[in-house]
Amino acid sequence: MGISLIFIGVVILLGFFVLIFVIGGYNALVTLRNRYKNAYSQIDVQLKRRYDLIPNLVETAKGYLQHERGTLEAVILARNAAVTANTRAARNPGDASAMKEISSAESALSGVMSRLFALAEAYPNLKANTTMLSLMEELTSTENKVSFARQAYNDAIMIYNTRREVFPSNVIATTFNFGPAELFVIEKPEQKEAPKVAF
Amino acid sequence: MDFFERQDKARRNTKLLVFYFSLAVLSLILAVNIAVSLIFTGFTAANSIDEPSIGWSRSELLFWVTIGTLAVILIGSVFKSLQLARGGSAVAELLDGRLINSNTSDADERKVLNVVEEMSIASGVPVPQVYVLDSEAGINAFAAGHSASDAAISVTRGCMKMLSRDELQGVIGHEFSHILNGDMRVNLRLMGLVFGILCLTVIGRILIRTSGRKNPLPLLGLALIIIGWAGVFFGRLIQAAVSRQREVLADASAVQFTRNPSGLAGALKKIGGLTYGSRINSPHAEEASHLFFADGLGDSLFATHPPLVERIRALDPSFDGGFPRVIQERPSDVSPAPGATQLSRPPQIPGRPLVQAEGDRFAAPFISQHAVIANIGQATTQHLRYAVDFHHAIPPALEAASRDPLGAGALVCAFLLASEPSTRRKQLEDLDRATSEAIRDEIMRVWPDTQSMPPQAKIPLVDLALPALRRLSRQQFEQFRAATETLVASNTETDLFVYMLRKIVVRHLETYFFPEQRRVTQFYALRPLAPDCGVLLSATAYAGQENATKAYAAFGQGAESLSRAARSEIPWLPPDQCDLSHIDAALARLSQAVPQIKKNVLNACAQTVVADGVIQEGEAELLRAIADTLDCPVPPFVQPHEEAGAPVLGQD
Repeated sequence: MGISLIFIGVVILLGFFVLIFVIGGYNALVTLRNRYKNAYSQIDVQLKRRYDLIPNLVETAKGYLQHERGTLEAVILARNAAVTANTRAARNPGDASAMKEISSAESALSGVMSRLFALAEAYPNLKANTTMLSLMEELTSTENKVSFARQAYNDAIMIYNTRREVFPSNVIATTFNFGPAELFVIEKPEQKEAPKVAF
Repeated sequence: MDFFERQDKARRNTKLLVFYFSLAVLSLILAVNIAVSLIFTGFTAANSIDEPSIGWSRSELLFWVTIGTLAVILIGSVFKSLQLARGGSAVAELLDGRLINSNTSDADERKVLNVVEEMSIASGVPVPQVYVLDSEAGINAFAAGHSASDAAISVTRGCMKMLSRDELQGVIGHEFSHILNGDMRVNLRLMGLVFGILCLTVIGRILIRTSGRKNPLPLLGLALIIIGWAGVFFGRLIQAAVSRQREVLADASAVQFTRNPSGLAGALKKIGGLTYGSRINSPHAEEASHLFFADGLGDSLFATHPPLVERIRALDPSFDGGFPRVIQERPSDVSPAPGATQLSRPPQIPGRPLVQAEGDRFAAPFISQHAVIANIGQATTQHLRYAVDFHHAIPPALEAASRDPLGAGALVCAFLLASEPSTRRKQLEDLDRATSEAIRDEIMRVWPDTQSMPPQAKIPLVDLALPALRRLSRQQFEQFRAATETLVASNTETDLFVYMLRKIVVRHLETYFFPEQRRVTQFYALRPLAPDCGVLLSATAYAGQENATKAYAAFGQGAESLSRAARSEIPWLPPDQCDLSHIDAALARLSQAVPQIKKNVLNACAQTVVADGVIQEGEAELLRAIADTLDCPVPPFVQPHEEAGAPVLGQD
């Protein structure tokens, strides 16, 4: 009985350590998940700002671009699709299908926006319009902020996913159902390489 | 009692706390030992004699039980402390807090952020992270963290929705006094220690599940659970005792900030009138009960706060004890919404006139070095009014920039740009090599606006930018740090203030991003720090005077009292021996000193600055920057208001 009691004591202490370890690992995963969700809210703010600016821009451009109805309509359509996709992604950041949806919607929007900017080049009157100028300036700045916030989000996702996959926290992740999180990538049609916004 | 005495008091409180807990742990070990020997003696007696129960002599058994109990408590405490090492945000997230985005458009969230930002500017501390506890309907709030750099303020949804702006200001003022008084560190230590004791009951619960005939373990488990809970009981008593007196002090300080007892009293009355009052439903509420603004648990024995009625009477003697019925809607705010005031922005930063030209000097008789020390960590109504005006006077473009991570980074970089065009061009070229074009665009976008800002606006703006900068990813922060370093390095004539400005930002962020590199107090005497004081005082003297002779005279003023205190000579150094890298090393060492030493050093700096009777705008801000690196928040220097009865910076 003597040996078995010591044995039981050691087992209990070990059990305590394992418990502490599991709690710690679980909490770390929750923290990392919160962090990438918070990081998405930063993107969300800037995206919303962008979605608010685009109708103004289209309204201003309308008077000058009478013959480019199609492009303007495409911009509005792409913008509306992106708004829907963003609402879904903001509700559940990191979810694979929501993130794929917002990625493709944003890629499409960037595509038509750059087409619109290219068109505007051909209309000197439009380019001279001060409202248009300040809106375009504002949009570029917002775009920069979006890609900066996107980078922060992707960094947070990478850290979370790595933590999820390495031993021993992967055991905790599978036990408590911590699923993989999806990156937010925007593909630019004309330039494969996304502009790098880094300090 | 000034800032340094309160800091000392908090440190003493921590020591007292550790002492009480050592006593508690000792009695716990004793109790466990008694329980173990009773149980095993009982079992040995019940069993036949030829079957010795463990094969250990009694003293061996007691030795191992002691080690085991200690190990459990220690490991539990260390585990919890590590978990809390990230500072205030760790506690806020533990209680299910949601970080409020610094550029939120929600009116309620904006209101909370504005109140917090104003309070930060007024007291000279970096703006903390603000969390909202969405699932808590009661009115409550707390501040947590190790220092002002990693502090977080959390408010419940009820607090955000049901309080008017004045009441909210009272609550936030209360929380800020916890930040300034050094209470937060004591509170986090408490959480760690209590958790260690709680772990005994965890072991007990494991033991009670073991089965087997003649098995003494379930009985031992039950004993452990009882002992553990008794330990937690005493832990809570200590927690409550330490907390209650700090709460009274915090209420008093909040009134001192806002000069509006009715705000805080109104908030407390609403808690009393609400059916769920200040209750916190989170399962972790018990662990953190001593952090909150009002009692989160609602039992009287472990009350971490003085009774509500008592607190209200202290603020409003005419209170009859009848709580008003609280309407669940948001009260109409007397003060206009922040957005509404945008059109009527005053044209300039209040308090002091704008500097017309570089090096413009004017007499500043109202800053005496005594006033500098007396004001540290002590914002008043006047500072708060200054902060509100300041908040309204920031150009919209800069305000927007300070709330966005990219914009905030660009803002700090813009402050580091030289005013001389050729140097600036060189800085930007060097920066281009390290970063992308988009960053440069953002910097140039905010740069014109930063040029029109007077020097005294720079520290508050940088403080405002910190919450957004904390949202950088770690990689982005490292890039940002490198970028600011490039900017400072490629500026051939970086002045001390700009250098300190960068240091403020990077230091606060490093504490946030790398909590493991926290500094510890190492110096309890001034003497070994004399060479460092020499570096700091010489550099301050050079920064404020045109030539070496005048600088030496100013240095003499500051060094005199300090050398007496240190009982050793404070060396006067040539400029090349007190350059930026030397200052860096000196400040790093000085920041590891006890509060009273910092007080002496800051006093000497203030004397050096005021030695010639004139204070350059930059000099005053330099003083604030130095104080900030030593973790001593100095409120902005404001002009004494014409109003009677509020001599803030007068002679003492």
